[in-house]
Amino acid sequence: MDDLTFLNQIEEISGEKISTCYQCYKCTAGCPVATEMDIYPHRIIRHIVLGDREKVLKSKTIWTCLMCITCSVRCPNDIDIAHVFDTLRKVAVMEHMEAETDTWRFDKLFLDSVAKHGRLHEIETILKYKLEKKDLFSDTKMGIGMFLKGRMGVFPHNIKDRKQLRKIFKKIDSK
Amino acid sequence: MITLTYYPGCSLKTSSKFYETSIKNTFSFFGIELTELNDWSCCGASAATTIDEKLAYALTGRNLAIAEDVGYHLFAPCSACYNRSKVTNEKIKKDRVLRDEINETIYPLKCLGTIKVKNIIEVLHDHVGIERVVKKIAYDLSSIKVAPYYGCVLTRITKMDAFDDKENPTSMDSLLWALGTELVSWPYKMECCGASKTLTNKDVTFRLSNIIMEKAQSVGADAIVTPCPLCQMNLDLLPYLGRTDKNLPVLFLSEVFELALFGRIGGMSSHIIGVDGVVKKVKKK
Repeated sequence: MDDLTFLNQIEEISGEKISTCYQCYKCTAGCPVATEMDIYPHRIIRHIVLGDREKVLKSKTIWTCLMCITCSVRCPNDIDIAHVFDTLRKVAVMEHMEAETDTWRFDKLFLDSVAKHGRLHEIETILKYKLEKKDLFSDTKMGIGMFLKGRMGVFPHNIKDRKQLRKIFKKIDSK
Repeated sequence: MITLTYYPGCSLKTSSKFYETSIKNTFSFFGIELTELNDWSCCGASAATTIDEKLAYALTGRNLAIAEDVGYHLFAPCSACYNRSKVTNEKIKKDRVLRDEINETIYPLKCLGTIKVKNIIEVLHDHVGIERVVKKIAYDLSSIKVAPYYGCVLTRITKMDAFDDKENPTSMDSLLWALGTELVSWPYKMECCGASKTLTNKDVTFRLSNIIMEKAQSVGADAIVTPCPLCQMNLDLLPYLGRTDKNLPVLFLSEVFELALFGRIGGMSSHIIGVDGVVKKVKKK
């Protein structure tokens, strides 16, 4: 509570003027997954202003967000709320406060695949995710269905200049 | 006759390969030439922005730089690729500090933001035009009722102008009208299908996609039409996500073009929810 550096930190990383929020609730009203959240989106914004660092970073809400950007385009004060949530996820991981780990795990595996091949190798990424979750078989039927319809390939999609791509990833990493 | 640089993105080479086929069939009919972007890489989708925003810009910047070198406008049929590319391109054009930073990361490539990024609706609406579409129709689709479904990120572009209204787009409606279909009016054209949660939180994707399917059915649609590969996939996967009720076929916009121009759909067998019912309704003009 009352961590006044929190607002500055999130405003700085996201570049969004969070303090201009006047709690009109429009973001929450339009959110398709508000019912699945533990803290409504407009309240997350208010908690940031009040400096409730732990409450915000440990919330399920920031991981429930689908990034459909409805809240952002509706905000009367032009706060890109979806982008603020992106920032909060990043900070939550940095400060080891993530309430849910699946989304982050999948995003990381997704990018590993891109770093390795240049493009997403679906089956490899999905299998790795399932292995990490120790849940190999729950979606087997769906996977086979996709495969039979020619909607899931077996081979990776390697780009030619993977060396340059690896350099890009390395440069970002070392920043 | 125009030429565009084509950025397929990962979906159009795998899970939605038949979308690519139908786009190519439609575009070549109207004399639009597509040259695939040389050695393109993934745009980072929604994953890169969360992990590191700079990485998201760099990944997209790489593709934009290669496209800029060729000089044609970039056509990105996937809504997520389109959104990411459009946003990055605008930022590169206007934000000098960010531009330098991206260029430093993607060196020896370089990007200045000189080309435009376009989606499928824009290309068909602006370059082909409603009048030409109407003139070229060979098949009668008037007995097919469609629910236009734009999905969330196509027009929801923050802090900059979008090609259509961000909350109530109508450009695809105009195209579907020009193709001769009957349109249903429904409030779900922009609702989210559950996006990339299909694997990480299946219940959410099921709930949201199911609502869209239910609503389209309740307003009497014969098919849902979308330009987004992720929306198409999530809705098409509904039988696997747990829906036991009857499903409506989920067509890509370009597949409705195929129906109106050639009377058939090239990638019919790739649909999980069968599309035969809709194809049977097509009559020769």
